[in-house]
Amino acid sequence: MILEIDNVELYFKNKTILNGIYLKAETGKVTGILGSNGCGKSCLLQIIFGSLRPKYKLIRIDNSPILKPLFQTNLVKYLPQHALIPKNLSLKHIFKLYDVEWEEFITIFEEFKLFEPFKSKQLSGGQVRLVETYIVLKSPSKIILLDEPFSHLAPLHIEKISTIIEEEKVNKAIIITDHFYHSIIESSDNIYLLKNGATKLIDDLLGLEDYKYLSQGSLT
Amino acid sequence: MQKLLTILAFYKPFVIWSFLVNIAITIVNPYIVPAVVTKLMLTIFVWYFVNETNAKRKLIFYNNLGISSIKLFSVMFFIDIFITISYLILITEYI
Repeated sequence: MILEIDNVELYFKNKTILNGIYLKAETGKVTGILGSNGCGKSCLLQIIFGSLRPKYKLIRIDNSPILKPLFQTNLVKYLPQHALIPKNLSLKHIFKLYDVEWEEFITIFEEFKLFEPFKSKQLSGGQVRLVETYIVLKSPSKIILLDEPFSHLAPLHIEKISTIIEEEKVNKAIIITDHFYHSIIESSDNIYLLKNGATKLIDDLLGLEDYKYLSQGSLT
Repeated sequence: MQKLLTILAFYKPFVIWSFLVNIAITIVNPYIVPAVVTKLMLTIFVWYFVNETNAKRKLIFYNNLGISSIKLFSVMFFIDIFITISYLILITEYI
């Protein structure tokens, strides 16, 4: 499956947020989006997901235009950068809704063994973030959008989530953005830099320094 | 069935408010048509409020399950109307 988005124009009042977007994600590859704060990374993911309406956009899957919000096709799951799961639902219910195996989860994250009947409001912020990232990644959707999946996670959990991303990409197209650029660079097969409302495909990582996303010498 | 349970969980925080509105309707005008119109207006107001504020973020969980905000609020409205009409039929038997 190949997902492409282009012709995006997004304005907030008179301010141009996005106006020169082309992004391609495909099954078997992780597509990373890097960019400074406020450059429109989260907006771009919301536009792909269908929860934010820009002035113009064109989304294609395998060259067929998708005219309704992508989430209504059941092809996509989106991890927003803010809290995802309602506080009044138990983990058991949430895993069932997202069609994710609890037993597999606790073999990877043993510390959650007793938490199945717990509601998310009984967990810490980091634990909730881990559960959210896991259910979105492991759900049987073909397209996964991850907005800052590594925020609030312990280094060991970041490693485990990176491993799961690597496993899941075999059957999924994954688009990921985060300020932990080392983790994004390691996880991604393709990297786009979002700057001045437009995307630039980064062929050479030194381009991140040339475009002044990173300071000179950061990657050496 | 799981999706319906999820929508019920979304409806849960509104139950007390809905019941208070039912009591107000019983006092002012305990008939089904005005009650349905009142609940419809209130549902549209809540839907608009959620869509125009940061509360919209809470809808992503349901969107991920393929439930649009229109579907979510429509189902919530029909559940609420069912409860309201049952309540009014029952209460008017005693007043």
